[in-house]
Amino acid sequence: MTAGAARPRAAANAETVPDGTDPAAGTDAVLAGLRRHARQLVAELAGPVRRVRLRSGETVLEVEWHGGGAPAEAVVPQRPAPVEQFTAEPAEPAEPADHAMVRAPIVGTFYRSPEPGAAPFVAVGDLVRPGQVVGIVEAMKLMNEVAAERGGRVVAVLADDGQPVEYDQPLVALEPA
Amino acid sequence: MFEKVLIANRGEIALRVLRACRELGVRTAVVYSAADADSAAVRLSDEAVRIGPAPSRRSYLNAAAIVEAARQVGAQAVHPGYGFLSEDADFAEICAENGLTFIGPRPEVMAALGDKSSARALMSRAGLPLPAGSVEPVPTVDAAVEVAAGIGYPVIVKAAAGGGGRGMTVVWTPADLPRAYAKTRATAQKVFGDDRVYVERYLTDARHVEVQVLCDAHGNGVHLGTRDCSVQRRHQKLIEEAPAPALSAATLDTIAETALRGALAAGFTGAGTLEFLVDAKERFHFLEINCRIQVEHPVTEMITGVDLVHEQLHIAAGTPLRLRQEEIRLHGVAVECRVNVEDPERDFAPTPGRLERFVPPGGPFTRVDTHGYPGYLVGPHYDSLLAKVAVWAPDRELALNRLERALDEFDVAGPGVRTTIPFARRVLDDAEFRKARHHTGLVDRLLTTTAPAATPDPPVAARPSTTAERLTSD
Repeated sequence: MTAGAARPRAAANAETVPDGTDPAAGTDAVLAGLRRHARQLVAELAGPVRRVRLRSGETVLEVEWHGGGAPAEAVVPQRPAPVEQFTAEPAEPAEPADHAMVRAPIVGTFYRSPEPGAAPFVAVGDLVRPGQVVGIVEAMKLMNEVAAERGGRVVAVLADDGQPVEYDQPLVALEPA
Repeated sequence: MFEKVLIANRGEIALRVLRACRELGVRTAVVYSAADADSAAVRLSDEAVRIGPAPSRRSYLNAAAIVEAARQVGAQAVHPGYGFLSEDADFAEICAENGLTFIGPRPEVMAALGDKSSARALMSRAGLPLPAGSVEPVPTVDAAVEVAAGIGYPVIVKAAAGGGGRGMTVVWTPADLPRAYAKTRATAQKVFGDDRVYVERYLTDARHVEVQVLCDAHGNGVHLGTRDCSVQRRHQKLIEEAPAPALSAATLDTIAETALRGALAAGFTGAGTLEFLVDAKERFHFLEINCRIQVEHPVTEMITGVDLVHEQLHIAAGTPLRLRQEEIRLHGVAVECRVNVEDPERDFAPTPGRLERFVPPGGPFTRVDTHGYPGYLVGPHYDSLLAKVAVWAPDRELALNRLERALDEFDVAGPGVRTTIPFARRVLDDAEFRKARHHTGLVDRLLTTTAPAATPDPPVAARPSTTAERLTSD
């Protein structure tokens, strides 16, 4: 496999909000508006958001976030820092039950960004929507996008750029939205 | 010799290959699907790579995933086992393109021999006798009718891309031929992606006799005698023995030498098997050549003392054969029984489940090749072969007694789990089989007669369907 193999140009963090001009998409406009509000809300709120619930009929907007007490994000142990010397394989990070794990759809090499040198698809802290591409697994020169089935906030990226991964190996841990 | 081999298979054969590698100081890596995470080969292998979910198409048949795994672990060679991609010329080629040694023949040889029709033509040119019939594929139903009329019924319509007992239909009367022809072509297209078929004489009351050969990359080759695999149900072997019984020494030598000649003429390398049908007059006819290690290889190993998987590895590594034909001695008789997780009383329906008890037999000259263990979960995704019990003895009578003894010891139990052991015992008790006067019709005969009520269960009712119907249904 050549290092310079081209990868498809995938959007890094696309979150296009339709402007609702399509007259047939009344629903679209409503959803778009909801999403916009949600993003603003999340950006404004102090502390990590645990859950956002939106609704259109009879207008609901619900947000749940961790306040005071224990920090919400200290649940997934991070990989040991590279400066450490270890001869054993790093242990598989624990998978808390309330985290959604995005796993490798095939065996191959994991890439965090669409192209060498480009910004990664996601970083820790990003809010990911269902279907969003969070990485690529390459096998036999074929690039396979890895999409998050459910949305959520990225709490950890569990494989390094260029790391060989197995089928079903956990790649990105999400805290469900 | 290779430093590391990737084992691209599962179950008992993955374990078999792993053992050979261990003994030769070769590091092992095995691929596995999500359903096989707890398998014996995965537990024992130096490395294991999860390559896909349970379905074979996305795991054991997934060439890209397998080659990726080989690259990830840095293997130099890939052993494909049997089934799956072991006779896939495209896979062999992909391995070669990626710098991996495929343990088997070269892609072009595999392609020529995997196509049953071209293999027949090749072997015919090498002087091997074929059953009467079309050497080339039969393109139209009219041509099929003509060929069949010329050779006489019954005939068998076979997919050129088939093999291993699949993609074939026996036709007893001319009236049935058009439908059988169309059906076989359609099935072949669906299952193999290639609808070419050929028509040959169907030999009833024949024995299935095959020859094990070893050919290296330097033009040397030896044969390791014959095996008889006439005990088959729907073309799947149940009991195999070496050497083929009740044939004259001259016939055995001729079949074996002819087979070796054919393999060398085709440029075959590795461990291979040439299959023949032998009629009541000891005339033999070439059926097909298998370019992989076979399930029943243990019986040949037991009468020759040769480790066939070791030889595969040596040959693939480019070492010239150290075996000389005159050094190969066939000693005694070996008989093997396949133990499948199926219920013989429910038409051999698979009965997956967890093995709560699993105690295989042991004792003198008794060999068990199995990936089973107590607590193992037999899943529904793959074939039902759980274990092969093989025994050796100086003569056939004693070997059969020994095999019965071993099967009687084999304790396999679990909720809903059944095995084919009771049916195998019926075969071993059969008078014709004991006298080696049986042929490929044996299993059907046993299945159309009432099973003796030896178990506490109610006796099995006699099966009314005719032999012809069973053979012509897929």
